[in-house]
Amino acid sequence: MSRFRRQFFIGIFLLALASGLAVMAHNRWNPALPNYAYFTGWVLLAAMILLALYNARKRLPFLPLGNSETWAQIHIYAGFFAVVLFLIHLNFRLPTGWFEGTLAWLYALVTGSGIAGLFLSRVLPRRLATRGGEVIYERIPALRHALRQEAEALTLGDQTKSPAIAEFYVRELSDFFAGPRFFWPHLLESRRPLNALAAKLENLRRFLNESERATLEKLARLVRQKDGLDYHHALQTTLKLWLFVHLPLTYSLMIFSLLHVVLVFAFSGGAR
Amino acid sequence: MPPAPPTVERPQRWDAAFDPAMTEADVTRLLAIPPFNKMLPAYFPKRTPLREILRHDTSIRHYRKGEIITRQGDYGTSAFLILSGTTRVVLKPDLPPALLGRQAPVKKGIFRTLAQFWSGRRQPESYSRAQLRPNAGVGARQNENAEVHVFLQDLPRVLDQHRTEEMAAGDFFGEIAALSRMPRTSTIFAASDTAELLEIRWQGLRDLMRADNQLRQHINRIYRERALASYLRATPLFRYLSKDQLDQVAAQIEFATYGDYDWSGEYKRLAQSGSVRPEKEPVIVQEGDYPNGVVLLRAGFARVSQKFGSGERTLNYIGAGQLFGFDEIAHNFQQPQSPVSVQHSLRAIGYTHLLIVPTRVMEQIVLPSLPKNELPPLVSLTTETSAVIPDAPTPRAAQDRIGAATLEFLTANRFFNGTATMVIDLERCTRCDDCVRACASTHDNNPRFLRHGPSSGRLMIANACMHCADPVCMIGCPTGAIHRESFAGQVVINPVTCIGCKACANNCPYDAIRMVDIRDEHGDFMVGEDLKPISKATKCDLCVENHGGPACQRACPHGALERMNLNNLATLTDWMKR
Repeated sequence: MSRFRRQFFIGIFLLALASGLAVMAHNRWNPALPNYAYFTGWVLLAAMILLALYNARKRLPFLPLGNSETWAQIHIYAGFFAVVLFLIHLNFRLPTGWFEGTLAWLYALVTGSGIAGLFLSRVLPRRLATRGGEVIYERIPALRHALRQEAEALTLGDQTKSPAIAEFYVRELSDFFAGPRFFWPHLLESRRPLNALAAKLENLRRFLNESERATLEKLARLVRQKDGLDYHHALQTTLKLWLFVHLPLTYSLMIFSLLHVVLVFAFSGGAR
Repeated sequence: MPPAPPTVERPQRWDAAFDPAMTEADVTRLLAIPPFNKMLPAYFPKRTPLREILRHDTSIRHYRKGEIITRQGDYGTSAFLILSGTTRVVLKPDLPPALLGRQAPVKKGIFRTLAQFWSGRRQPESYSRAQLRPNAGVGARQNENAEVHVFLQDLPRVLDQHRTEEMAAGDFFGEIAALSRMPRTSTIFAASDTAELLEIRWQGLRDLMRADNQLRQHINRIYRERALASYLRATPLFRYLSKDQLDQVAAQIEFATYGDYDWSGEYKRLAQSGSVRPEKEPVIVQEGDYPNGVVLLRAGFARVSQKFGSGERTLNYIGAGQLFGFDEIAHNFQQPQSPVSVQHSLRAIGYTHLLIVPTRVMEQIVLPSLPKNELPPLVSLTTETSAVIPDAPTPRAAQDRIGAATLEFLTANRFFNGTATMVIDLERCTRCDDCVRACASTHDNNPRFLRHGPSSGRLMIANACMHCADPVCMIGCPTGAIHRESFAGQVVINPVTCIGCKACANNCPYDAIRMVDIRDEHGDFMVGEDLKPISKATKCDLCVENHGGPACQRACPHGALERMNLNNLATLTDWMKR
């Protein structure tokens, strides 16, 4: 069995075990313990702090705090376990009141964005590797600009002198080369926009002479390269963006949770 | 009729002389002194006459008292003959690292580690003047040819505190390191007020040895005495031999070098143009030939290949310490009635220095000493043979495990040279750049690598120092600033003694060393007296000062990045099949 698979099964097993034990403990102690809600709240807060510590670890790479990979695994499985703790803390009921409701929604959004991030970080790299043409994200604008210049020199430059190609470029391709395009089709792995462009290029072929067809071939190659660049742009942007959703939500959740603790103690006269 | 293609003068061996300043008078003078006056010019081939070797492959160097000529642990491509004056060789223990221009290997303490919280915010590559103050024990000066020579400041104290031995006119040194591409074993410095030495680059030394029996015997004797015995004792194949038997083997072993010592310069151009093909590499052993002996790789790398169609396909590559041809000789020893020929070809990649144990020696001394269960299985012409080392996976298996394309990719790009190559699994890498940020945080905001590089399938080799088994970058550093942290350890640069000459950056075939204009503690660029910026060579140091290993690897949340010894394909295969 491969290491990742073994890691996955062990993680799932431990998660199921911990969740089962937590639910059993909840069923047994819920009516019995007087401060049960406080207890589950503190446990949940501890779990949330453990989850948040992963971000702190990432910011201190020079300290010998263990591998980020191990931290990420703990973050993932502890995150799922925290959902169980959250449900236990809610006593498996929907919260009432706008503050608790907002808190619950925030929790759901943080969890949802985390799961989405996990899914994306497992699926998108594989797709990028399969597509090939690896490129550094920050270099994409410069490469796009170079492709655009090459395409314009080929179609609008003095040497080409093909009105048909020049007209086609201005009408069909100038916008395509101007910036990142087809974000959603790339993300959804749809080839429709590229196929449509390829069909238009093919339609143009019958109006061209031999030398113009050679130019068209070069143009088609540039279109494919630009499409590859857009593909990387779409997927790499998504991989970067999800964290910009997950992290602000997490900070909001932490603030709301601390406020929740303060409010609970303020309106209950302190821990009993 | 098509026009004739433009022609250029075909490059010749001596287009670039080792020292253009060498004159005919210098050569005439050399020919009048030993050992050259005893060499018979008639024994030299017409293409490489003695006079021309001396003219193009040597250089007369002058050293002043205390100037270091070779440093222990450095890599060099030339040998030295003392013409006049004296030098001293430092016996064990060697000079301390600081006197050799190096940093003592020290891990960061708890306070320096914690100080990175606030010190990491400064400008990249910032140094205080105190940090760059050179060691008081050594100085550097330029000679009339603008060469930098490092000298020992307090020579009497060095002589008092260290055991040294004098070498005088007529003595040779540095020949083993030059020929075998191994690190120099001793530090040698000029002991007389002036010492005149003849530096002979390895090509010239090789040709002199070929033509002059006395020099060849002299160097072979030194090689056998100083380097071979200990090497053979550490080789598993000879572990059952007695001392006498081992001496007999050592006496009959042959040495050979193949390929181009200066492979690094041309390789990348060839690789990029797709011209690196096994067929163009020097053949060490040809598939189908009678096995003349077991080949032991002492330094460098070789490709194991097999005829496929009209070309050669790579089955494996082997590096220092590995064997080739053992299976066939063992087979013929056990089944003399049905002998087999060599099953694969062995070709030098770059430069290869090897030892050949003749078949006769194997059959008479080595094979009878091995227990039956340690002999490899008989060669079956219908199955693949190991052809490498007895307990190694078969070369075909190497190809099957990582794929032919990946194997060709690693070989063509010479990535097997790396002992800590940064390998990225593109199917797991989310391009988050946590590795780059971790590197920058650990190295004063200057990430020492680029998360980009050649790729094959899901494998990418990032542009980071690979801490090569054959560190070409270490050849020619005038101050010893670039050095190994320990024997076969990490290659690091001491910023204090780096003079920014770019020798290492130009030598590195993988473009893994970058010159950076340094700044002072206020963030201003440091300039020299000529008002030009001061540059230092920077590269990955494998976080040698930090606890816990390379920050880049530890920072990857998805296990997509690994610093890996690509000499060992099994590690890569296991990693890819995680």
